[in-house]
Amino acid sequence: MTQRTRNWLLLAPAGTWFLVMLIVPLTVVFIFSFGERAPSGGVVLALTFEQYANLPARWAAFKNTMTLAPIGTLSALIIAYPLAYFLAVKANPRWKTILLVLVIVPFWTSILIRSYAWIFLLGGRGIPALLEWVGIEGLRLINTPFAVLVGIIYGYLPLMVFPIFVSLDKLDKRLLEASSDLGAKPWKTFLQVTLPLSIPGIATGCMLVFILLMGEYLIPALLGGGKVFFVGNALVDLFLQSRNWAYGSAVAVTLVVIMLITVTIYMRLISRLGASREDVSIM
Amino acid sequence: MAIEAYTEVTLPADRKVVAELRGVSKSFGDVLAASDLNLSIGEGEFLSFLGPSGCGKTTALRMLAGFEAPSEGQVLLDGDVVNDLDAHNRPVNMVFQQYALFPHMTVTQNIGYGLRQVRPRIPKPQIAERVSRALEVVRLGGFDDRKIWEMSGGQQQRVALARAIINEPKLLLLDEPMAALDRKLRKEMQIELQDLQRQLGITFVLVTHDQEEALSMSDRICIMRDGRIVQIGSPQELYDRPNSRYVADFVGTSNFFDGTLQGSPEGLSTVLLDNGMQVQGMAGDGLVDHQDVCISVRPEQMKLSHQGDGVEVKVHNRIFLGEHTEYLVSHQTLGDFLVLAPRQADLTEGAFAVGDTATVSWEATAALILDRN
Ligand SMILES: Nc1ncnc2c1ncn2[C@@H]1O[C@H](COP(=O)(O)OP(=O)(O)O)[C@@H](O)[C@H]1O
Ligand SMILES: [Mg+2]
Repeated sequence: MTQRTRNWLLLAPAGTWFLVMLIVPLTVVFIFSFGERAPSGGVVLALTFEQYANLPARWAAFKNTMTLAPIGTLSALIIAYPLAYFLAVKANPRWKTILLVLVIVPFWTSILIRSYAWIFLLGGRGIPALLEWVGIEGLRLINTPFAVLVGIIYGYLPLMVFPIFVSLDKLDKRLLEASSDLGAKPWKTFLQVTLPLSIPGIATGCMLVFILLMGEYLIPALLGGGKVFFVGNALVDLFLQSRNWAYGSAVAVTLVVIMLITVTIYMRLISRLGASREDVSIM
Repeated sequence: MAIEAYTEVTLPADRKVVAELRGVSKSFGDVLAASDLNLSIGEGEFLSFLGPSGCGKTTALRMLAGFEAPSEGQVLLDGDVVNDLDAHNRPVNMVFQQYALFPHMTVTQNIGYGLRQVRPRIPKPQIAERVSRALEVVRLGGFDDRKIWEMSGGQQQRVALARAIINEPKLLLLDEPMAALDRKLRKEMQIELQDLQRQLGITFVLVTHDQEEALSMSDRICIMRDGRIVQIGSPQELYDRPNSRYVADFVGTSNFFDGTLQGSPEGLSTVLLDNGMQVQGMAGDGLVDHQDVCISVRPEQMKLSHQGDGVEVKVHNRIFLGEHTEYLVSHQTLGDFLVLAPRQADLTEGAFAVGDTATVSWEATAALILDRN
């Protein structure tokens, strides 16, 4: 067997998977997006831009996704970084693994069940009731963008913690000593050594969380209560309820294009930040 | 002829002391890594800590750098106790064992790191100038914008050196800096390091487990064992007048014969060896009558002859080393030991072949009576 055939064989399973599960559906969706709604639901193939012209009708879903996905990613980063830093640098090595497992424990139950817990906590008899008790009245949390944000941060935190933890954990601690030895105060050492060397982890974590958030629909559906719609929710609605496949396809194609553009810009930014490309493991 | 009693070599009284350890101990849980270290380091001195792995050399160095606080005792820099001074506030710099260069910075950025931390800020052009001068000093001119991982091991070590000297520290600490280099490069770096030290006049403290390295570079060597300093002296002193079998064994090669001291130790004394032979040797300090001792004779102090006085041995093995020939000889009761014959002796007396019988003799003054431990 030549090296070439072997390489092809290695690529074959994943390649087939990509072709069948990704390229083909995407092509179908792309073709559908230029079609028209069939009277009985479904799609009639055509070549019209009518569906794209109608996109502004779903502006709210795009707006919510494009604001809450970045805000959620950033918030998760701000909360995850100190946690990952503590686990990797400060925590007693004996406890490290246990603490790390604790971070993933929530993943052992379904996000659905966990989100229901949040519905209760943010709902009338949860936190607002507690606040009322101390005198803060009339605060509504459930079915607001805030509730969705809380759910997002909660659900995606481990995904952000892990890559950052890995990059901080493999950071040679003697580099921190070297920095201190050369006269840098602890805060300067963090800014000049720790932070730059954890950029690959930050980049991977943000990328992972951001891409998944762009397609999120469960958390907005449960904690947004139909008031805070994501594009994902719009798609569920268009394909499953109103059975307007052509319009749904146009929305889906637009989402994919937006994702491609933002991810490209993002990768440019990251490589300009100095992290060499091979450092960022999932790119 | 009386040999001077061993005295711990202290610094001359007029030598300025830059750093001092006073009764310093360090324990990690149950492990006593350093115990009652007492030492003055003179300005401009090249001092080494020498000892086997795990004897506490790195710990001693890290206490000077400020990475570890002593459990007991005091660390002084320029006469001030600095036990509570953080590493970033000490005028001390270190070359780390694996160099610990910043992988996300270029050579220039690594070297300039120390200068960029100084407040009030040093103007950029001045930093650039000092960095390029440091690059010249370590002979890395032209490598300015290289990435660290593009540099070879030897080059990385020079970068680490330049980075550590740029702030002109009172004390430059080097933790086994040459351990990762191959033999040839190590020899070159040893010479360069010595040149650099003379050129800069900075006090160097080197940690090594390589006796050759310590002997060839240091003004003084601290021999360490199980967290303690067992002897401090110049390379020659340690070689000629070790204060214990441990030091004699660690510094150079020696033959040891166990016995018991006869009479009070004053200069030339008598030892009754375990095989019944009586031999004379120079007694070291602190020995008492009837103490279990050993006598130590360096291989090059032994003379191998075809006949004459001495102990009768059989030649077991012969290794020709050019200017010397190393004979492994064996004696019925003393066991095997080494004799180093200069080329000249081989030429005038004739060489020995494996299986020959010969006699070995040595001057009584070349035999040192040492504590057995
Ligand atoms: N941070 C630490 N925690 C626990 N034990 C340590 C630590 N550092 C050193 N030791 C122990 O102290 C002893 C001396 O170590 P070290 O100073 O590194 O020796 P050397 O540099 O001579 O090889 C060893 O037994 C080592 O295991
Ligand atoms: Mg060491």
